[in-house]
Amino acid sequence: MNDTEQLVKDALGKLAERTPHPGPTLNALRRKRKRHRNVFMIATAGMAAVAVLIFAGVIASDRYAPPKGNDAAAVLMPGNGQAVALKYAPHWLPNGFVENFRGTNDQVSRVWVPKGDQGYPFTDGRPTVVIGTSAEMPDVSSGWSEATVRGLKAWVRTGQGQSPGSTARVVWKAQDILSVEVRGVDDVQAVALQVAESVRADAKIAYKPPFKLDGRFADHMWGTAADTWEAMTNWKNQVSVHVGTTAPQLLGQTQQIAVRGRQGLRADNGVAVFDGSVWIWATAESYSDTVLEAVNKVELVDSPDTSWIGKPL
Amino acid sequence: MTPSFDDFVAEQVTPLLRYATVLTCDPHLAQDVVQEVLLRAQQKWDRIGSVDLPNAYVKRMVTNEYLSWRRRRAAKDVALCMTTLESVTPPVGDTTHHYDEREAMLQRIAKLPRKQRAAIVLRYYENYEDSEIAQMLGCAEGTVRSHISRALATLRLDHTPEPAGVGLRLGEGLS
Repeated sequence: MNDTEQLVKDALGKLAERTPHPGPTLNALRRKRKRHRNVFMIATAGMAAVAVLIFAGVIASDRYAPPKGNDAAAVLMPGNGQAVALKYAPHWLPNGFVENFRGTNDQVSRVWVPKGDQGYPFTDGRPTVVIGTSAEMPDVSSGWSEATVRGLKAWVRTGQGQSPGSTARVVWKAQDILSVEVRGVDDVQAVALQVAESVRADAKIAYKPPFKLDGRFADHMWGTAADTWEAMTNWKNQVSVHVGTTAPQLLGQTQQIAVRGRQGLRADNGVAVFDGSVWIWATAESYSDTVLEAVNKVELVDSPDTSWIGKPL
Repeated sequence: MTPSFDDFVAEQVTPLLRYATVLTCDPHLAQDVVQEVLLRAQQKWDRIGSVDLPNAYVKRMVTNEYLSWRRRRAAKDVALCMTTLESVTPPVGDTTHHYDEREAMLQRIAKLPRKQRAAIVLRYYENYEDSEIAQMLGCAEGTVRSHISRALATLRLDHTPEPAGVGLRLGEGLS
């Protein structure tokens, strides 16, 4: 392989690091699929889901203490109020793993990676431990094995994911539908089950993302240290809005533009400005006034919680 | 055993997004392409799920969707050089020479004709053989070799690194 070919390979690898989070795609897919469903099926599935959740809540109530009505943290739901509730926390992880990502878009997900790993955790198949809630159970009728997590019925599956080795996923129903996914470590299934066994409900655990838009907190945040991070949210289902500590990359030709009372840059697909200590930028399929409006509407949060980034349990 | 569509999506959405990002050079377009493809795949999952390698089939759908994407964007929609943004504020980015070379190469790759770009991605990112690329692009192996040869020639011709310090000075005097 000559120098040009090697540079092409390196450049494409670099480009792969910009892979977007799957959340918006999955949400859009879910919305569009739902439109095609029969109304009767939706009603039936909804009733079944409610029944299952009530049943799961009753079954799990002796293991996961529900928040009390007068507990202030009980009202801290994702995207609402003064902080974002995370609701669950692991109490065991493989050695050397540190927290790298928090996602709070409808459901909560938290990601731990080996200390020293940098950037967005979903792009290159590297070792990760992901703990999260889900809106619905996967179809466990095939390919899954039964297991138990803290006495509750659970399902586990190990297969080839995007990492070179195997990926194991455990799902179970407590107060919420919970999942643990592990990849890139030895004996992924045993590790996933051990992590799942350590997960506890925690009504008081919450954190404060670095910005709000239309009164809602950013719902994705990731980084490698308390001073090296990026937060993101989607606005009006068409604009991706970011705040971060490093300069963004936009597309195409640029020109100066006034934004947030400062001089920023407008590109073919977005707007960026350095606002005091952080970058604020928004991108879309193509530039429109909505992109500029989004950057102008970003509310930076005083003293955001970045202390968790790069920290072990 | 036929995997369910939900299981398939849960496992493959990120690899598909990564492939589409590299293919399109645009994370937003990648999201659109993958979403379109998965919606279509879901409607015919009985058939797709029963083939030997459903992920290869869907990846081919992503490739075809990209090659026929109706909202074609100008070829000059390329990644902005870091020096442009850094010029408006105190620099914070990576300034290593190799980083700059990769950024410059990305811009050149983004300007390639679509089939040449797809062939380059399949060869140098997915490590496919000519025969596999030909199958993916629906063309002859000779055509694949021609695409790659022409693409490399273009990339090599354009490979004239900027001297250090050259960059847009948009930011002088900005707040």
